[in-house]
Amino acid sequence: MNTINKLAYYLVILFIILSINFFLPRAMPGDPLAYLTGENPDMPTRMTEEEREMRLAEYGLDKPLLEQYLNYMVGLSRGDLGWSIYYNNHVLEEILVRLKWTLLLTGTSTVIYMLLGIFLGAESAWARGKTKDIGCLTSILTISSFPSFFLGTLFVIFFAFKLGLFPLGGAKTIGVSYANPLEETLDILHHLVLPVATLIIAHIGGTYLLMRNSMLSVLGADYILSARAKGLSERYIRNRHAIKNALLPVVTMAALMVGFMIMGTIFVEKVFTYPGIGLLLYESVLRRDYPLIQGIFLFIAISVVTANFIADMVCIWLDPRVRDE
Amino acid sequence: MTGVKVNDILGSLGLGILAILVAVAIFAPQIAPYDPHDTYKWMERPSSEHLLGTNDIGNDILSEVIYGTRVSLFIAFTVSITAITIGTSLGLIAGYSGGVLGFLIMRIGDIFLTLPRLVLIIVIAAFMPQSIWNLIIVFIIFGWAMTARIVRSEVLTLRSRYYVDSAKMLGGSDLYILWRHILPNVIPLVVVQFIMEAAHVIIAEAGLAFLGLGDPVARSWGTTFYYAFEYPAIITSDVWMWWMLPPGLCIVATVLGFTFVGYALEERLNPKLKTVVGMEI
Repeated sequence: MNTINKLAYYLVILFIILSINFFLPRAMPGDPLAYLTGENPDMPTRMTEEEREMRLAEYGLDKPLLEQYLNYMVGLSRGDLGWSIYYNNHVLEEILVRLKWTLLLTGTSTVIYMLLGIFLGAESAWARGKTKDIGCLTSILTISSFPSFFLGTLFVIFFAFKLGLFPLGGAKTIGVSYANPLEETLDILHHLVLPVATLIIAHIGGTYLLMRNSMLSVLGADYILSARAKGLSERYIRNRHAIKNALLPVVTMAALMVGFMIMGTIFVEKVFTYPGIGLLLYESVLRRDYPLIQGIFLFIAISVVTANFIADMVCIWLDPRVRDE
Repeated sequence: MTGVKVNDILGSLGLGILAILVAVAIFAPQIAPYDPHDTYKWMERPSSEHLLGTNDIGNDILSEVIYGTRVSLFIAFTVSITAITIGTSLGLIAGYSGGVLGFLIMRIGDIFLTLPRLVLIIVIAAFMPQSIWNLIIVFIIFGWAMTARIVRSEVLTLRSRYYVDSAKMLGGSDLYILWRHILPNVIPLVVVQFIMEAAHVIIAEAGLAFLGLGDPVARSWGTTFYYAFEYPAIITSDVWMWWMLPPGLCIVATVLGFTFVGYALEERLNPKLKTVVGMEI
């Protein structure tokens, strides 16, 4: 029952997102036609009255609102996210071209920062109140205060420009033909290091604090006391009793973190001109390519909501108490 | 070192940072050497006349950053005070009266929490004329829900306390009970939420500005950073040191101040309740 409720809830959310996307250009100040054709909506139009009516008909804007809405929904179900003004191409196609880079970036960083956060959180909680714990906590709280775009820019200045260790940006060296796939892979990895490092530092705080808290509450549990009373070694208690149980909330958060990540990459992709969908969103905002902006919004929003849904499902699956609620 | 002491140190440090920044914001006209809109020679290096040099249109960078404190803190405080007040009121209503109204408030709140706030804000900001008031409104719309949820669950536990029952039996009105018995107990939680929200807004506003969606006239730290980043020779020369670093470090200092104060407060109030701010950016 709970699962069905959740599913219904997320379908409502999805419906709301689709509706926001539909009404945005129509409810905002300015001419909705200008948003679709790429003219500046604040400027008086250069079109004649006949031209305007022709364009309105072309985009279906002359029809009643309800009919426009239905057409929009039918179009979406066929994967029609609209037509990009700048690229003169299907919005969905432009997004899919860029998607692999965003997935590479978010995937790599999520795996690393989750593992690192879990490890540091467990170590910190195990040494609660000692210098190691306090040092770790203070430094992670401090680096978490850096916005990712600031951190990324500093990395570009020091590690790419001053030291020349890494490329200034991009996902690959431009205009190079690779001798073999290995060379290409190495080049891609070389470009990946700085943006991934930025994302790890910017996002590790959440996992670290969650693991540290979870571990702290586990360490106060009775079964840890009885494990000690049985005379088990500290190492065994830590790894088999404490960490294993403390992991549960972190694991259920993992899917949610991926959702956060997709939003976080927008800034890092801009800093490193990394050609993912975040950079595409930024470029589209600059170019006033509203159909593409909306397409990317829809794409990211649906990914984030799906991540939320998966997190809820994992939670239900792992914890019977939630299931029977 | 004990845990309590560390919290006190972090908390005082955070309060100190915030106090200085608020003072700078209030006394900006007295502290700043120039008007941030006055123009001088372009791209001057730091000198005794312009301590942080001038930018590409000849504004004094130090004055711009000092006035930027006003803009950034004004947005953060306006948004968090309004959003937290709305959230607290709705949370009190939802928790105390329950029923259909309470259910509706919480469901709408859930929806706002699930929606990808940051991307939605970027998209809405892209459609709206660039001004700080538009930013403030959008941030408020997305800022109240978490507070409403936390306040409601606290009210639910408080409502069943004996002293609330006795107040009711003695004929206390609902408004009296809410004001006299429930609200004071909710305030500490609300303060923590306020701090978290303020830090979040500082970092989110800077992020939006970095994407070129800030107010070009009322320049916040994020907007100054954005113009510096967009300057073609920003990393190949030393310019970044006096144009980019100061606004960047101001953002970090503010978030750090809020984080430390928030962390110290939370640790005091409830060791189990913890979040990290600015996770999206």
